[in-house]
Amino acid sequence: MQPDTEKKTGKISPHTEEEPLKGTFASVLMLGAFIVVCWFAVFSLFLNRA
Amino acid sequence: MLSQKADHIAYTTRIDRAAARLSLAYILVAFSAFGIAALFGMLQGMVRGGLFELPGWLNYYQILTAHGVLMGLVFTTYFIIGFFFSGIARTTGGSLHGTALRLGWIGFVTMVIGTVMDVVTILSGDASVLYTFYAPMKASPYFYIGTALLVVGSWLAGYGMFASYAKWRREHKGERSPLFVYLAVATMILWQVCTIPVAVEVLFQLIPWSFGWTPTINVLLSRTLFWFFGHPLVYFWLMPAYAAWYVCIPRIIGGKIFSDTLSRVAFILFLLFSIPVGFHHQLMEPGISPAWKMVHVVLTLAVVLPSLMTAFSMFAVFETTGRAKGGKGLYGWFKHLPWTDVRFFAPFVGMLFFIPAGTGGIINTSNQMNAVVHNTIWVTGHFHITVGAAVAMTFFGVAYWLVPALTGRKLTATANRMGMVQTVFWTVGMGIMSLAMHTMGLQGVPRRTAYTTYMDNPEALNWIPWQRVMGMGGGLLFVSAILLIAILIYLAFFAPKGYTEYPIGETDGEQAAPALLERWTVWLSVLAVLCVLAYAYPIMEQIQHAPPGSPGIRTW
Repeated sequence: MQPDTEKKTGKISPHTEEEPLKGTFASVLMLGAFIVVCWFAVFSLFLNRA
Repeated sequence: MLSQKADHIAYTTRIDRAAARLSLAYILVAFSAFGIAALFGMLQGMVRGGLFELPGWLNYYQILTAHGVLMGLVFTTYFIIGFFFSGIARTTGGSLHGTALRLGWIGFVTMVIGTVMDVVTILSGDASVLYTFYAPMKASPYFYIGTALLVVGSWLAGYGMFASYAKWRREHKGERSPLFVYLAVATMILWQVCTIPVAVEVLFQLIPWSFGWTPTINVLLSRTLFWFFGHPLVYFWLMPAYAAWYVCIPRIIGGKIFSDTLSRVAFILFLLFSIPVGFHHQLMEPGISPAWKMVHVVLTLAVVLPSLMTAFSMFAVFETTGRAKGGKGLYGWFKHLPWTDVRFFAPFVGMLFFIPAGTGGIINTSNQMNAVVHNTIWVTGHFHITVGAAVAMTFFGVAYWLVPALTGRKLTATANRMGMVQTVFWTVGMGIMSLAMHTMGLQGVPRRTAYTTYMDNPEALNWIPWQRVMGMGGGLLFVSAILLIAILIYLAFFAPKGYTEYPIGETDGEQAAPALLERWTVWLSVLAVLCVLAYAYPIMEQIQHAPPGSPGIRTW
């Protein structure tokens, strides 16, 4: 059953149908990987110098 | 839940003359300071690279202080206040009411007096204490008074914004406030709270000590109070840039705001987690126990959450917009973004810079790992890509439409093209300079030093080529800064009369926000608890078991 607002306006609310965000998902994973790689690079420097 | 009427703001709403004049005054001072600071920045790079020698009457640490104060405190604060006043006017009907305008102007005059005092004392050689004004380096008392006036003026401007917000809420009971106003208010609350400790430092420690009324100063306490302010200061710079990303960028690229509620929640999290975290700047400070440092490290890492929410939100806006324009596949949407529009391009490059900037921040704050980079020029590289790229490039992108929108002129195609060129220069210059700074920092090169070969130490001589690369990056940044100033002068005074849109995005369809998000007493209470938890005991300890007081030192 559609919410009242949709019946009135005929619009589909963005939350009833998921937007395809595959690119966003891939991008945030790459961002996370970048953070992890950089962190471990400096961490290895820290260990070597210690 | 609050209703969403407020989001439906006509795209053509114009800002009235009185509000535009106020915003413009702040923006013009901001970019005047930026121009002078850029000159000093370029000179610093050249001096450190051994490419240029300053005349006898000008000291390296003097221009370093001028660069830091004018860029970090003056350019940013004036721009942010001008931008917020204009956006509040734009999203609440086009004008600012009497109280907001009056407070805005009184704040402006107070800030200008403070700025002039700071500039005069720095240029006269009486305040080469760098923008962190660490004791026991002692400046002229008028430098500290000027800084205090700068802060007090910004408080008054903030009160003006709160008055506008309160008026809007009185007149729109039960409605959700416009997103831009909400984000501006959250930022200015952060500013009001985080400037209290530095005001205490300046009023009760630095001013009496610099006048000679007290012979010595508790250095540990003064640094703690400074960093109680110093880290949220970074968020005071970042949050207006995020506001432009969340609210203005979707409209510029022809899309919709991804989530109104997510934006508000992210700002609440920034407000809560960016203040009680200052010890991560003092991880090498001997007077603070490791346990308290760890508390601050954990709270600092909590800021990663809203930062990543912001990154996700931006990717999602780009993807949904690009797909709506016909983009297919995993990244087909990417090419449908407006790559030749400087209003988008400059902030977008700023966002890219924020990826290594944020990563560097996580490394800096990782407790023991801080030993690798502490007080090295890595840190300078880190905040140049944070403030000098992510924040500054967003401000440039905003200025390209804000200045003509305020002066009733057009952002012409030529100005847009020149803006693209300026952005490329800034990107290359900042990329080269910050890469050199990060690389040298990892080799242990200290920050905040003039040209030196450390008595021809072979290790230090190896750094010189990187120092030169850094200087060249600074040269490109200066060229870009000159170009920016020229374009802004054109847009403010010479561009053809006409209409430039003040871009404010809308959400797609109905999005309700929890009413709790606008109950500021709740968030301020949580913030107070976090601050007390993080700071009350260590500060008490620093007063009760104070280290020996230090007399003032003039290192220049």
